This record gives sequence, C-alpha cells and structure tokens, in this order.
Amino acid sequence: MDDVKKQIPIEEGLFCIPASPEEKPYLIGSRCDACGNVTFPKMEVCPRCVIRGTMKEIHLSGKGKLDTFSIVKAALPGFKAPSIQAYVQLVEGPKIWSLITGVEPDPNALKIGMDLELAIERVREDAQGSELMSYQFRPVQH
Amino acid sequence: MRVVSIIGVGMTRFGKWLERSLQDLGREAIWNAIEDAKVPAKDIQVAYVANGLAPQLTELKGTIGQHVLTSAGIFGIPVVNVENACSSGSTALRGAYLEVASGNCDVALALGVEKLFCGDTARSASAMAQGTTLAKFGFMFVALYSMQLRRWMERTGVTKEQFARVAVKNSYNGSLNPYAQFRRPLTMEEVLNSRLVAEPLTQFMCSTMGDGAAAAIVCAREIASRYTSKPSIDIAACELVSGTFTFPDEEHEPIARRAAKRAYQKAGIGPEDVNVAEVHDGMAPAELLLYEELGFCNEGEAGRMIDEGRTTINGPIPVNPSGGLAAKGHPVGATGLAQVAEIVWQLRGEAGSRQVSNKPRIGLTENAGGWAMDDNAACAVTILKK
Repeated sequence: MDDVKKQIPIEEGLFCIPASPEEKPYLIGSRCDACGNVTFPKMEVCPRCVIRGTMKEIHLSGKGKLDTFSIVKAALPGFKAPSIQAYVQLVEGPKIWSLITGVEPDPNALKIGMDLELAIERVREDAQGSELMSYQFRPVQH
Repeated sequence: MRVVSIIGVGMTRFGKWLERSLQDLGREAIWNAIEDAKVPAKDIQVAYVANGLAPQLTELKGTIGQHVLTSAGIFGIPVVNVENACSSGSTALRGAYLEVASGNCDVALALGVEKLFCGDTARSASAMAQGTTLAKFGFMFVALYSMQLRRWMERTGVTKEQFARVAVKNSYNGSLNPYAQFRRPLTMEEVLNSRLVAEPLTQFMCSTMGDGAAAAIVCAREIASRYTSKPSIDIAACELVSGTFTFPDEEHEPIARRAAKRAYQKAGIGPEDVNVAEVHDGMAPAELLLYEELGFCNEGEAGRMIDEGRTTINGPIPVNPSGGLAAKGHPVGATGLAQVAEIVWQLRGEAGSRQVSNKPRIGLTENAGGWAMDDNAACAVTILKK
C-alpha cells in the first residue's frame, strides 16, 4: 500500500524486534568470555584483551539510567528538531550515546539517573521515503 | 634521531573564499613558507599534505596533495596525503618531522589546506558531521560538548560566564590578527546573549567553518643556517595518539592529557615550562578544560585562570594569542599548521600587535579531532623550543 511507509532498520545488527508481541525489543551487544567486558554495539575483538575469538553475541535488556543529556535546538538534515541527545548507562555496563524520545525537550522533564527503557522508533526517512528505525530510549512510566 | 628545526611558516588569511580554489589557497601558504624559510623550492624533498573534506565538498576526490603542489610548481617529490579529521594538520607536521629526524631527508614540507564553504551551508555542515559513524543516528558534536560541560560544571562549579570570558579573550586576540577570519572584539553580553545552541553553549562560544591553508618547512637543524638566519625553532616533540576505550569500572583519561604527557616527556619539560600555547578551542569552554588537561593549572582551577586574565596576551601563560579556532574559523586540514605558524611567530617575536609579552622560549600546540567509539579519534601535541 502506498500510504503505509516501509520501516527498515537504520543499520543491521544493532537491535531486534522479536516477532512475538509478548517479547520486548532488545539491543545486540557482545561480551568477552575472557574478561567479562560487555560492549554495545557488538564488537568482534575485545578492546581490553585484544585477541580474537573471545567475544560472544549477547542480548542487552534495553534497561538503563540517564547519565547525561543535552537539548539541541538545531538538528542534522532530516532529523527532528529540537533533539534530546544523551548518554545512557545500561544495566549491563556500557554507557552509550542515544537519542531520547517520549518526553518534551525541556530540561525540567529530564533528571539525571532517571530510569529509561529501549524504544525502537523512526529517526528519519531515507531518500525513498522509507522510515529508518533506530534504538532510542524513553523514560519508564512508573 | 636528529634535531629538526622549523625554518619557515606561512598561511593564508582564513575566511569564506568561495572564489578561490583549494590549489590557490595551498599555493599561497606554500610560497609564504618558502619565502619565510629562504629555501629554494627545489630543495624540498618530501611533502605531507593534510586535508579533511575536499572529496565531499570540492571537485578534488583524491591525491589532494599532488593537485595542490603541482599547481604551486612542485612536481616529482614523494607526497603523502594525510587525513586525521581536525588533527590532520598536526599529523602532517609529524610526518614531515619524522622524515627529517630519521635522516631520510633533509628538508620537508607540511601543508594543511581546506575549503569548507561551498555555497550550501547545510551541505558543508553535513560533511563535517559525517566524520563519525554515529552521525547517521543524529549524533551532534555540539551535544557531546554540551554534555561533557554539564558534568564538568557540576563537578567543579565552572560557570557560563567563564566560558564567555574565553570567547571574549579570543575575539579580542583575533582582532589583532591579520590572518583571522573574524576581527571584531565581542563583549560578554554579546556572547552570553547570542543564540542558544545547546545549553550552556551559545553561538559565539562555538567555532565556525573556514577556508584556508597553512604550511611549515622543516629541516635538519644542522643545516638550517644554510637557509635562514632567524633563531632556530626546534621541534622538541610532536606526539600523536588515538582515542581509548573506556571500561565501565575505569575513569576515562582525556585524550589531550595523554598526548601532552608523551610530548612533555619527549621534550624533557613540564607544563610549567610552557610560555605560550595554541589549543583546539572547537568551543570556548573546551579551551578552559584544556588548561586543566594540559596541566597549565590544577583540576578545578581553570575558571580562576580565565577570571584572573592569566591566559591573555599579556598574562603569564597566553593561550590562543591568534584568536584560536573561534576567531580564525576552522578549515579542518589547515588548523593544526596555523597553530604551529602562530607559535613560531610568537617565539621569534614576529607576531606584531598580538605578540605575547613574556619573551616566550617554549610553545605548545594541541590539536584534536574526530570521534570514534566514544573518544576523540586523534589528538596531537607539539612542543617547539627556541
């Protein structure tokens, strides 16, 4: 149908939306068998051990806390403005950059340390009009 | 390894030069440096040419160095094209320096050249933002700076006014610099009231695009007097590092501190020995943070340094007497070498009305760039001694 836009992941291998609606989306990361270091995105070689063969793919829960944020008035072409850019402290260890969604771009609406959860949402459209989907984080509704 | 001297420097004025080509800008910087060095151009044996974004923004898609050098009349010599985002210029200097220090040749050229203005600001801004794999997700450098600053402000009490004071200082220095793009001194009110980009950053706290070129000619110190009678400006260190991976249980060590540590050790000095510095003020607050990261003051004291005027042209440790990236703009490939040119002029006493008054003998440049896997991609610190 022409009026339902195609949704495609902005990049393969970062996240997964399970077919079953009971299961939540998750992030795809890696953990080193040798030292326990967890990374997102998935890495092929552990940056601590720097030897091959120790990194295994793992699923990350998408649970984290807001570590720091910035509300930017402008945006890159195609992206929504203003945008909330942040670093999210995932419960599994990595601290990752992400856009924040589901909340007004108002510094009073955001609190360092607040609980966040993964949301797979549209970040922009590509030249063909398909929606590019990416991982973002939104405040958990308590 | 032999001692290497910088015998000549040159640059174009930085600005918006839509009618000038990359070749044209590069040619002017090269020949200004050649004339400063009093070296016959035919004695240049190798060239390292830095450029960040020509393939995206100009008609030149590769071998930028050769296109520029041939238009300047220089053919046949080995040319190495260098790209390290905003650190490209310093990386080119490092290449030229090592060629001579190793004994591979006697005279080498380092050139940085860039055209960011292309008549379409969005296209230029987009090209600059693309330097990181996160750009396609909407990542913006200005947000990264803003987040780093918030943490720092909370930890040390440094204020927005202190950031503005840096921007004011640099705009004043730029007004004295014929090579600066922006030559109007700004007031505190203008800086603080300029358009908010991302709290606490206002427009006048952020550096902007620029077109321009800068060059340095290096040679073995033992033959420098063959060419120039000016005081020998030796490269005491030219250290380059890439970013590190920060593990959850560890504190991140700032890239500039890591590069500076290596440079101080190589040069056999400490931060207290530096008389004048040119640092990478992508945003005015970044300069303040660098006072601490480079060891010019202890942690938590950067705000006091700017409040007390310690880094003005007449202060004990002048920083960015050229006006920095703020006043010059930031032609990505050229910036690192423009910093070097400024330090050379300052050490020689040739900086005119912006000459620092402390009779400097040791100068430092810090030039960082790019973003890869949660740290700057590269940072170079160069130490020059008269």
